[in-house]
Amino acid sequence: MEFDMTKPLPVTQPWSEPFWEGTRQGKLLIQTCNNCDARIFYPRKACPECWSADLSWIESSGRAVVFTFSTAFSMVEPKFADELPYTIAYVDLAEGVRMMTRIVNCAPEDITFGMDVTVVFHERDGFRLPYFEPMRAEDPS
Amino acid sequence: MTSSKIAVVGIGEVPTALLPERTHWDIVYETGMAAVRDSGLGKDDITGVISVAALAQPAIEAELAYGRVPEELGLKGVRDTALVNAGGSSTSNALRLAEQWIAAGTADAVLIHHTTVHSTMPLEVKIAAFANAGIDLQWEYPFGTTYNIIMGLLASRYMHDTGATPEQMASVVTALRSWAQKDPHSLFFGKAAPTVDKVLESQLLNTPLHVRESNVLADGGAAMVVVSAARAKSLGVPAAYKLGESVRYFSSTCVMRDFDVVRAGFAVTATEAMQQAGITKDDVDLWNVYLAYPLVHPMMAEALGVAPPGEGAKYFHEGRMSFGGDIPWSTIGDAPGRGHTGSGVGTACYVETARQLMNRAGERQVDDCRFVYQNTAGGSGFNNIATIWGNEA
Repeated sequence: MEFDMTKPLPVTQPWSEPFWEGTRQGKLLIQTCNNCDARIFYPRKACPECWSADLSWIESSGRAVVFTFSTAFSMVEPKFADELPYTIAYVDLAEGVRMMTRIVNCAPEDITFGMDVTVVFHERDGFRLPYFEPMRAEDPS
Repeated sequence: MTSSKIAVVGIGEVPTALLPERTHWDIVYETGMAAVRDSGLGKDDITGVISVAALAQPAIEAELAYGRVPEELGLKGVRDTALVNAGGSSTSNALRLAEQWIAAGTADAVLIHHTTVHSTMPLEVKIAAFANAGIDLQWEYPFGTTYNIIMGLLASRYMHDTGATPEQMASVVTALRSWAQKDPHSLFFGKAAPTVDKVLESQLLNTPLHVRESNVLADGGAAMVVVSAARAKSLGVPAAYKLGESVRYFSSTCVMRDFDVVRAGFAVTATEAMQQAGITKDDVDLWNVYLAYPLVHPMMAEALGVAPPGEGAKYFHEGRMSFGGDIPWSTIGDAPGRGHTGSGVGTACYVETARQLMNRAGERQVDDCRFVYQNTAGGSGFNNIATIWGNEA
């Protein structure tokens, strides 16, 4: 049986393209509403708070804390089997939004709830996925 | 006083199994005919048919959506048929649609049914279906997440917040499987429930979820006949009357799901459904909880007020929700006890609720079962629908 083992790329929408373009420039962009100041994640065509279409982007500091995490050892989608073990997490960005991500550059057993992490971009076929790694001691706080 | 509008007066079910030679239509015939016979009505008394969607089985879904059941079973009185899909909460929506048809006079006896055959699904279809259904293709899937990981994220945080131990979490499987052991419609019927040690010795798939804390896919199906509460009373047969319902929507995308909002939603839907039914939680004889994954059960037990905050997992570990315990809970063992039949676990739970209220649950029968809490949740948890059912209108 033949499986397509190509790793999946984000299925984007026109209004999320600036987010992915930002990652290519090393920036983590958060959509904001010019009408009600909402911080919006994931990006929408209209503000989910006030329905304004007057939306723009701010650059995130890239800092976040780990809300929860799960380290996978088995039974993932076959396309990702070669990356096992890996850790999926929800992280809360300083700008007030929560993302699903990977925690990398850290032994799984060293990951903790509330751990400070910072964004690091992971290349995949023209995309740069926002992963997170532990904040290093020399990082300015 | 309550104002029950509908009642289940007949049930039919096939045992869950991995049985490739038993087709979707074998199950439709067997469960549909059994439910109608059980109701005491004739086949031509059925005036509406509602199918519960079969996840990732497009061929049968197309046949059901395009009205095949009345023709196939020769239900000459049927005026309309439809297929409903809201993931795991499909059966709740089938019951709502039946209630509407009955109130509007569209139909006066509705057959609701589900059929699923996982065992003949090609592996790549199975993987595709369960790899990305309910998981966002832009913000979640590319990172390598899975259903198991989503449940891991929820359970990890729950354990962090409450101090629940892996042993306590594993005991949920032991509890659910203790009911399955006594359930002739389960593929685990007659098989000893795994001990906590055995659960924890099984492979760790993703923290904190072990292989025995995940679900086994199975084939299965169930059906029920729904009539107005007034008609059920006049038929004079044992029946399950719908007494209350409440629902909250959470989120479609998993990462958007605030765990505190989910917990609050579990609590408020139960409160509202019980208020509608004119009962309190002390009146509930059976908490027939449907959550698919065992690891969410402790959180639900706390939200329902069945266990004090932070002690849900401890209650399971003490055996209180097991067969023979003092809190009748998920008496078919939810998906871990029945095998996962997709949206069909919800159908099976409603059938069990009716069976308990009809006093026909055999060894699993809850003593003097008068009121049952029954919930369903759609997708990977986009909503929670709480209902209360009773053995009188």
